[in-house]
Amino acid sequence: MSDAAVALPQVRSSNPAWNFLRLLPGILLLAAIGYGGKLLEQNVGKYAKAHHWTFPNIEYVLWAILLGLLISNVIGLPQVFRAGVATYEFWLKAGIVLLGARFLLGDVLKLGGVSLALVAVEILGAIAFMTFLGRAFGLRPKLTSLLAVGSAVCGVSAIIATKGAIDADDEDSGFAIAAILALGALALFTFPLVGHALHLSDRAYGLWSGLAVDNTAEAAAAGALYSDAAGKLAVLAKTTRNAMIGFVVLAYAIYWASRGQAQAVGNKAAFLWQKFPKFVLGFLLISVLATYQFFNKEQVGALANLSRWAFLLTFAGVGLRTNFREMRKQGLRPFAVGAIGEVVIAGFTLALVYGAQRYYHW
Amino acid sequence: MNQNTESIPAGESRWKLSLDSWAVLFALLAALLIRVGILKHVPW
Repeated sequence: MSDAAVALPQVRSSNPAWNFLRLLPGILLLAAIGYGGKLLEQNVGKYAKAHHWTFPNIEYVLWAILLGLLISNVIGLPQVFRAGVATYEFWLKAGIVLLGARFLLGDVLKLGGVSLALVAVEILGAIAFMTFLGRAFGLRPKLTSLLAVGSAVCGVSAIIATKGAIDADDEDSGFAIAAILALGALALFTFPLVGHALHLSDRAYGLWSGLAVDNTAEAAAAGALYSDAAGKLAVLAKTTRNAMIGFVVLAYAIYWASRGQAQAVGNKAAFLWQKFPKFVLGFLLISVLATYQFFNKEQVGALANLSRWAFLLTFAGVGLRTNFREMRKQGLRPFAVGAIGEVVIAGFTLALVYGAQRYYHW
Repeated sequence: MNQNTESIPAGESRWKLSLDSWAVLFALLAALLIRVGILKHVPW
């Protein structure tokens, strides 16, 4: 897999205490950047106002991402921080589970049901279009499959899962991951602008981000950049999409095995369980507990705040692991296919959300 | 969800928890601490 844009832990020691200590510098850096983003949000606006400057109100989410991007692309991320920074995925998933406290089960079933229908249409449309586009641009078939899965389901995770299932090579998965991450980074800046230009409601924008932005961290960040409510909805829609990963990867594994270019899948139920994102179950469990008032109001507030802190660390990680110089090295063609595909999918999902908004009178 | 495809190095047990599962356990433990009152207030 490509390390072009993702700071991954490199070496694992057999000593658990050392493994934990090794993560600390990076986790502290995530916390410092996230908290720095919060401080900047609170103080930059005040400072600008005091000096009679016109300055847009920039949310902590964007500050945290920008600080991370600055460090990663200007200074570079020193080795000592890399293992800890890679824990941003852990914080993302813990944050999603805790976010379950802010959804009553009825909301999850209602919105999740709408999301599920939209997700099914989005996945089929995205796979069909990306496959067509990959063929039109003459990309290698397995690279086309990886890009199709990455843009249809859930970004990097889906690409990594599919890579193993269809025996794709490292170069192809590196191309696909770099393209998906670069486009995710662009979505952070373009989606809120489009949302505001179209005066999308929080619900419509949140669903759109969850459907169209491929990587879970970027989808959560793109939603939170619009509003807190939109961030919640983006995570719900994206989680619904993530839940589909096993089915899509299984379909691709069977397709490539039938062509004799991947190993046959033995136990399909075990395969589905192995690929299923377990944090979806954690999210549902916390939502059920909150619905049946296992937590009182203050406790729900504390869980929600803990979820915000976990996301703050994630957003700092999104900036820190994005290195544009490394992404450029991966070549232009997969990026061009990804970019065209993402623009079309973004337009397609926006139309879906518009349709749902009109039908459900949001 | 990188857990799904991580290869298991020789000498490590096959039932080792995935990143996903650790995140779920961490979140559930935090929820329990809040529920029993050990973690009373989380500021934002």
